[in-house]
Amino acid sequence: MTSTAQDLHDTPVVAPGRTILELRGLEKKYPGTHALKPVTLAFKAGEIHAIVGENGAGKSTLIKLLTGVMPRTSGEVIWEGKPAALATPHEAMALGINAVHQEVVLCRHLTVAANMFLGEENSRFGILQQRAMVREAQKIIDGLGFDLPAHVILGNLTIGQQQLIAAARATVRGTKFLIFDEPTAYLTRKEADQLFTLIRRLKDEGVTIIYISHRMEEVFELADRVSVLRDGTLVGTRDIAETNDAELVRMMINRSIEQIYHKEHLTPGAPIVEARNLSGKGFEDVSMTVRAGEIVGLYGLIGAGRSEFVTTLYGRHRKSAGHVLWEGKDVQINSEHDAIKLGMALAPESRRDQGLCLNLPVGLNLNLPIYKRISRNLLISGAQERTQADRQIADLRIKTPTRNALASSLSGGNQQKIVIGKWLAHGAKLFIFDEPTVGVDVGTKAEIYRLFSALLSKGAGIILISSYLPEVYELADTLHVFRRGKLVATHGFHTADHEDILTQALAEKQEKLGGKT
Amino acid sequence: MSTEAIPAEKPRRNYNALFGLTLLALLVLLWVLLSFSTSSFASANNISNLLRQGSMIAILAVGQTFVIITGGIDLSVGAVVGFATVIAAMLINAGIPVFLAILLTLLVGVAIGLFHGFGIVKMGLPPFIITLATLTSLRGIGLLMTNGNSISINNDAFQEFSRNSFLGIPNLFWMVLLVGIPAYVFLHHSRWGRYLFSVGSNAEASRLSGVNVQRTIFMAYTLSGLCAAFVGVLLASRIGIGNPTQAEGWELQAIASSVIGGTSLFGAVGSVHGPLLGAFILATINNGANLLNVNAFWQRVITGVLIIVIVYFDGLRRRSGK
Ligand SMILES: Nc1ncnc2c1ncn2[C@@H]1O[C@H](COP(=O)(O)OP(=O)(O)OP(=O)(O)O)[C@@H](O)[C@H]1O
Ligand SMILES: [Mg+2]
Repeated sequence: MTSTAQDLHDTPVVAPGRTILELRGLEKKYPGTHALKPVTLAFKAGEIHAIVGENGAGKSTLIKLLTGVMPRTSGEVIWEGKPAALATPHEAMALGINAVHQEVVLCRHLTVAANMFLGEENSRFGILQQRAMVREAQKIIDGLGFDLPAHVILGNLTIGQQQLIAAARATVRGTKFLIFDEPTAYLTRKEADQLFTLIRRLKDEGVTIIYISHRMEEVFELADRVSVLRDGTLVGTRDIAETNDAELVRMMINRSIEQIYHKEHLTPGAPIVEARNLSGKGFEDVSMTVRAGEIVGLYGLIGAGRSEFVTTLYGRHRKSAGHVLWEGKDVQINSEHDAIKLGMALAPESRRDQGLCLNLPVGLNLNLPIYKRISRNLLISGAQERTQADRQIADLRIKTPTRNALASSLSGGNQQKIVIGKWLAHGAKLFIFDEPTVGVDVGTKAEIYRLFSALLSKGAGIILISSYLPEVYELADTLHVFRRGKLVATHGFHTADHEDILTQALAEKQEKLGGKT
Repeated sequence: MSTEAIPAEKPRRNYNALFGLTLLALLVLLWVLLSFSTSSFASANNISNLLRQGSMIAILAVGQTFVIITGGIDLSVGAVVGFATVIAAMLINAGIPVFLAILLTLLVGVAIGLFHGFGIVKMGLPPFIITLATLTSLRGIGLLMTNGNSISINNDAFQEFSRNSFLGIPNLFWMVLLVGIPAYVFLHHSRWGRYLFSVGSNAEASRLSGVNVQRTIFMAYTLSGLCAAFVGVLLASRIGIGNPTQAEGWELQAIASSVIGGTSLFGAVGSVHGPLLGAFILATINNGANLLNVNAFWQRVITGVLIIVIVYFDGLRRRSGK
């Protein structure tokens, strides 16, 4: 690292408003998938250009081509008037093109500071300069307004916090063109606001920004222009002032959605699970009840203890106090195996670390929890294995060439659908969904919420964790607010407004280093 | 994207089959070349010999593959083979009925595998370390038990078995089928086979999906130990002695066969037919080199080069498939 973002924009090569980067017939074919059909599009210097589209529309692919992560099949990229090969990430960075990718691609075992300077350590930051490096990194992080320590191991931060570090890293590398691929997927509103401040500041400094998101309100809040991709084709580009939510959704999915949040109010039945004064690592003295036919929402900041609470309930971690009642009876849940046997299902927060076997086929991933049911003695029924997988793929509209494709070859949102889909055929009574719609497009979100309703009407109960307030607000019959490991407030459906809930979740300044949510 | 635009292929299934066919083609090619370049290769005697040589490594490679698929490694199998020859020899010489002696020897293999599972799952030791420890200590225990001598087995029927053939094919090769076919069904068509893959791919995700990860790991090492003890019995029959220093370096040959057969040392990728073919390719190269009077030292070099070449091309194909 030799220069800060500031130094770099002394000499703008391209005047603001003129074309800085142009795609001419840019195309990408994967084996079995035509991910990007020839796309022609120009980005203006200094604009924030949003790109939206369904899961698997080709957004991340476009970014991978621009940053040299993947080679293109055909087409041209013109950078500052000259054709650029963009064959390696190094070349893209040398030009000033950087990206914060959808999945954090940093070294989890190194410190935050080491990650910030990875690949750019110069003699100033030799072995003996560790402390200087940490100090420098901390200065940058503080300067960006992020409340994060530079000396800790990256893997100890939450995914959202790692995402902020990735953003900070990208800004210090002499960036002229910065791409954010769904940066807010794992962020809470507060962290997202910090990020938006950063993005606006970069724009003021003359950096051109591509912003990919599935959240329309963010697009309207930030962007100057927006382009829509559908099935690898560019459907159109609009000035943000001249378009609206409905038009973008129609362009994206070629139909309109009347209602995203599908909610039927059922009369809750008997309690399925009751936590009584449960404590464990990261949360303390939490009591709640989930009844048949209801959605219990958990809202809070990253690090508030929601994920720890549910994983402990699920038997993954040891509880330190309290007890759990299952259908009215006291139970000991010592392992996730016990929990599943009782009838619990957990779709965990991190699809990479906890949710998926990435280098295995989609079908195997979808069937993993139900192999016992689709096999007689030990032998798997091949026919059932196929039909079960195909049913989930069809129901959730998972975009994959076949059920035999590796999970790693799917787009982020489609991977997320596997994490949820694998439990739908399981027939559990209590479903725990931890950030279920991270990176999922609007159309599929609506589909997933409809599936929630179907589960509820079959007598199941749902615990829904989301850092995205509208989601829990619109869906939860009971909404619990977590703050620093404690359950601080409880609301019925729409009995409090967004402001109150946010205040309760925030209240005090967030700890410098929270554990995982 | 559109999935229809390009004819949809079935990446995984086809890939596995294709890779298997490539290996088979390589094996056939070697055989054809050797039959033309040497007079003795194609003789019935030599072919039987080659099948016998390859069979034992092939069975070891199957067990090894189960372990590697879970992301582990079993360095002990060579030592287990040597140790098993001692156990089998002692039991048979003690007058215990042969079938019972064999059963007890197999149980010893199971016990060693369970011990590995225990070390990894309960004590948190890395597979490399615990199996390395067994490798050295088993040889030591065997030497202590035999005072460093070989025990010759005085049971002709037992030794006959490995020399005889059935339908013109050496008994030892039938043993490969006896192990290979159930192993194939187990790995590719049973629930536990799926769990081996899922644990090797992502243990945490498997665990949260209700897979008993600990049991799966126990199972993999137990099967590897069982295969090794079985090979020990076969070897005792073949050489007619029990000797703890036998099968030196076989663990590496088993790992090499497995890797040549397309198993990924990172876990979650592997098959049964691949390692079997890999073992016979290695055996053919050794056999051919002998017939061609290639210096035995060169054989080791060739094996090394072959591993690099095959794994490199396999990796290339996998990457380009992404
Ligand atoms: N490495 C790969 N191998 C094969 N196909 C791939 C690979 N990466 C992506 N694809 C396919 O290309 C298509 C476009 O994927 P891409 O990741 O660009 O989608 P996206 O628009 O970013 O979606 P999301 O909103 O879910 O992140 C998808 O159908 C995906 O399955
Ligand atoms: Mg994407």
